[in-house]
Amino acid sequence: MIEIGIQTKNIVKDEEPRQGFFQMAQAGFTCGDFSLNAYLTNLSLYRQEKNDFFDQSEEELERFFTPHREGAREAGIRIHQMHMPYPCYVPNGSMELNDYLWHVVAPKSMKICAFFQCRYMVIHGFKLARNLGSEEKEWAETERFLQSLAPMAKELGITMCIENIYTQSGGHIVEGPCCNGRKAAERIDRMNDQYGAEVLGFCFDTGHGNLVGLDVEAFLSQLGHRLKVLHIHDNDGVGDLHQLPFTFTKTRENRASTDWDGFIRGLRRIGFDKVLSFETAPVLTAFPEKMKGETLKFIGKLGTWMAEEIACR
Amino acid sequence: MRIVCAPSGIVSYSRPNQGIMDIHQGGFSHLSLDMQHCCSGQELENFRAKEEELKGERRQEEQLEAWQREKRISVLEDSSKIGRRFQKLASVGKENGITFPIARAPYLLRDTKRVDLEEVLLELHKACIRYCASVGGESIVIRPLFSGVEYGKEWEANRKYYLQLAPVAAESQVTVLLENQCQNRNGHMIRGMCSDAGLAAQWIDYLNKEAREQLAAEGREIHGDCFGFCMDVGVCNLCGQDMHEFAVTLDSRLKAVVLRDSDGQQEGAMLPFTCVSQGQPKTDWLSLIRGLRQIHFDGDLILEIQDTVECFSPLLRPMLMSLAKQVGEYFRWQIEIERALKKYSSIVLFGAGNMCRNFLKCYGEQYPPLFTCDNNEERWGTIFCGLEVKPPKALLSLPPDCGIFICNIYYREIEKQLREMGIESVEFFNDEYMPSFHFDRVKGV
Repeated sequence: MIEIGIQTKNIVKDEEPRQGFFQMAQAGFTCGDFSLNAYLTNLSLYRQEKNDFFDQSEEELERFFTPHREGAREAGIRIHQMHMPYPCYVPNGSMELNDYLWHVVAPKSMKICAFFQCRYMVIHGFKLARNLGSEEKEWAETERFLQSLAPMAKELGITMCIENIYTQSGGHIVEGPCCNGRKAAERIDRMNDQYGAEVLGFCFDTGHGNLVGLDVEAFLSQLGHRLKVLHIHDNDGVGDLHQLPFTFTKTRENRASTDWDGFIRGLRRIGFDKVLSFETAPVLTAFPEKMKGETLKFIGKLGTWMAEEIACR
Repeated sequence: MRIVCAPSGIVSYSRPNQGIMDIHQGGFSHLSLDMQHCCSGQELENFRAKEEELKGERRQEEQLEAWQREKRISVLEDSSKIGRRFQKLASVGKENGITFPIARAPYLLRDTKRVDLEEVLLELHKACIRYCASVGGESIVIRPLFSGVEYGKEWEANRKYYLQLAPVAAESQVTVLLENQCQNRNGHMIRGMCSDAGLAAQWIDYLNKEAREQLAAEGREIHGDCFGFCMDVGVCNLCGQDMHEFAVTLDSRLKAVVLRDSDGQQEGAMLPFTCVSQGQPKTDWLSLIRGLRQIHFDGDLILEIQDTVECFSPLLRPMLMSLAKQVGEYFRWQIEIERALKKYSSIVLFGAGNMCRNFLKCYGEQYPPLFTCDNNEERWGTIFCGLEVKPPKALLSLPPDCGIFICNIYYREIEKQLREMGIESVEFFNDEYMPSFHFDRVKGV
């Protein structure tokens, strides 16, 4: 049965995590996408800055996240997916920083994922095509990274999920790592065959797909059962805005310019039965604080509607 | 590789003299034949529909009469009239030594409502292939069918369509080029037919195989492949595609590339390198050049710059056309960057900085320089990236078949210096579109 989830960023606060999880539950969500990336942000990493959060020992990290785990449990929220801090490799970053991301942040993230009994860890591929010269060479580096984590993933029962992400030229967004569904499917199969376990899967991001004009239905059909995780959000086709689905229109007829029909048909076609998870943290800061509960409920209702549509055969 | 100019916006088909003159004086000798001119997307949209609509409203008798007058010359009713539309253009072109190596067949509007025109298009496209051959054309871009094609049945519909064109293409010795399309999703352009390069490559291979079998069974003579591909950079840009991947996947099937710039959000046909933001191009030219270089692209590079042309005063157009030609030549030079290196039995670099370092990273192994030069005397006798840095006067003792490649952005200044020294074999190198890049830059060189 399809469940509805949402990312914890802007809902679950470290000071009182239980409250945030209860707010999610009250809005109709049963699953959470734990925003581990909020503890070491992409903005700071691109500035080559790191904090000391992941310097903590595994025990310290578990202690830190115990209130979160307990809060989720009490509220009846299952942590279905988690986002590893990204980028996992900073192009033009120092060797020290990239070693830290690879050898400290990544394995500790996997341990935290297991601590939450979370099955799926979303990992961004390396953005190295410009430097290395091709997507194939870029993937080779990403695969090296994934291979280094795969034994741990197998042992912990975690499926690492690669995500369709983007890069840009002059502010114009163009496809980045993992935007070729056929290649992604082959790579996932190859790695899973190698380990005899589902160590690798896919996270489809609707907003990123929209930015690069993907044929969503075809893309999801190519992924099939390898699709484990979703990041559902909307944008204007120009910027990665992470807004509510059905928000953007471009013509006087005012019909959604994002292919939500194709998204639903694609999920229906592959028999998707996991979690419709929203990655819509910016919505919660855009609406007035007092409307947060209602906004969350509305996102939950959108999820319920989508689940019903997908179930229609 | 041919640099081809698309005439839209530049040449008036009814009065082509000035436009052809501008193109010719700009340095172009090849024009594409835009057959939309004989039957526009709007004309197709209205075909046998507007007449019915107007007949229903007696008040619009004048409009009906005008429509019928227009219709009388429609090539949709009589495809033999195609030639008449291009007569002047072809004749003025010929007088100016212009050739028409490639044509673009009429196509439906992206947001067409018509799902009933397959037969009409088929006859029109057959006639276009024949006309293309009659003016010496070697290939014609015929967009895939999309309107009314059921999801999942794209290949079946297009297979049938293109194979019906194959006998005419073979007989005319014209290659039919499929082209990547986008589709309008409520105002947002997303990927359409043949925008999946892997799938497009499969289509072309199947079509060529089946066409060969079909023609052989009919006892017809076969000259090469009937089908190839034309990559529309504007569409790739609208759909945010990785153009390196796109080109490499299509590989030798790629026979033509439409070069046009845009902001990546709306259809556009601007001169490459003109749509920019904060000093960066909106179109990822790096990926495109890398891809075309990797596959040793040797087809037609078609400059489609209608939007830019129409925004320039007619008084400035001769200069614009000259710039456009130079831009085309620049693409060719970048794609064939190794051609200059292969001309010489040995080479020497001029410049001991990052460009020299980038040369050595990408080409140093295959084309090892004897040494490099620099005007900074403090660097003479030092070693940079394994190369000895010598003073410019060392160039005077080189054999005549040694090429000197300027690896410094002060190209013209250094070229002048070398020419004044009596050195002739001076070439430029450029590292803006290298096959790969270092992760860092050397500072202080």
